[in-house]
Amino acid sequence: MIWKEKYKIGVPLIDEQHEELFRRVTEFVETLRSAGEWSHKVAKVNETLNFMKDYVVTHFHDEEAYQQEIEYPGMAEHRRIHNDMVQYVVNIAEQYEREGYKEELMQQFAGKLLAWLINHVAATDQKIAEYVKSREEVSHE
Amino acid sequence: MNNGIFSPFSKATCEAFKLLLDLDVSTSAPETLEEIVDADNKVNIIIGITGDLSGEILYRFPKETTLEMVKIMCGMEMNEIDDFVTSAMGEIANIISGNAITGLSEQKIVCDILPPRVIVGGGAPLAGVALPVLSTTIKTQVGNVELDIQVHANK
Repeated sequence: MIWKEKYKIGVPLIDEQHEELFRRVTEFVETLRSAGEWSHKVAKVNETLNFMKDYVVTHFHDEEAYQQEIEYPGMAEHRRIHNDMVQYVVNIAEQYEREGYKEELMQQFAGKLLAWLINHVAATDQKIAEYVKSREEVSHE
Repeated sequence: MNNGIFSPFSKATCEAFKLLLDLDVSTSAPETLEEIVDADNKVNIIIGITGDLSGEILYRFPKETTLEMVKIMCGMEMNEIDDFVTSAMGEIANIISGNAITGLSEQKIVCDILPPRVIVGGGAPLAGVALPVLSTTIKTQVGNVELDIQVHANK
């Protein structure tokens, strides 16, 4: 995944976390997509999966705290989107373990996560920046 | 089908390609298709619509276009249409359709979407799509994507 300056929302903590999230998802996808037998890379895939999963939860928590701080009007809907994603990740992780760490499920998960994350950062989170900007404009009037 | 129903899907597709994939886009005028041709060489993604409208949205991506789009997203070369690629494109179709039904809700048309069904090549599942469809071509620098819509109002 390629981090782009245009993804920044202008809040250093959130921007740094988004960039770190991109790095961790990239590491997970690169490990998953690397050449070699699945049996040889499954341990490394699982390690990067857990590394990435933990950070998703941390980031969502911090981003929601920021939204509360600025009284973001779209907070309830944004939290629902976060919760749905966390639930999806939890369900996939359970299925992955239950079915014995199959590659097919992880490839499907990674593909969806890739597109979801780009959309979330490039579109959904940009609404926070738009709100902050509109609030600043009102305060300057 | 009126243009008020078609245009949110066309608009959402163009916006997603621009915003998420950094592609330049243009669209052809919508036309009615009595048959869907060349599905064998494409990655076909069907999204069902329920609620005030019933029917299906079909996104047809040439295989090379599909690989290029996923490459743009992840920064890695993609050589084959595999589970990773179809899942990423299924999510893109899901995002576009979700944004389109948000656009429809502004016209007081309330709908929901079903999970994407990805069909690589044509075959029997695609034959189930009701005809005719209203179709437009979304032109991009990595290939042309066909957007077909077949829906009817329930009220």
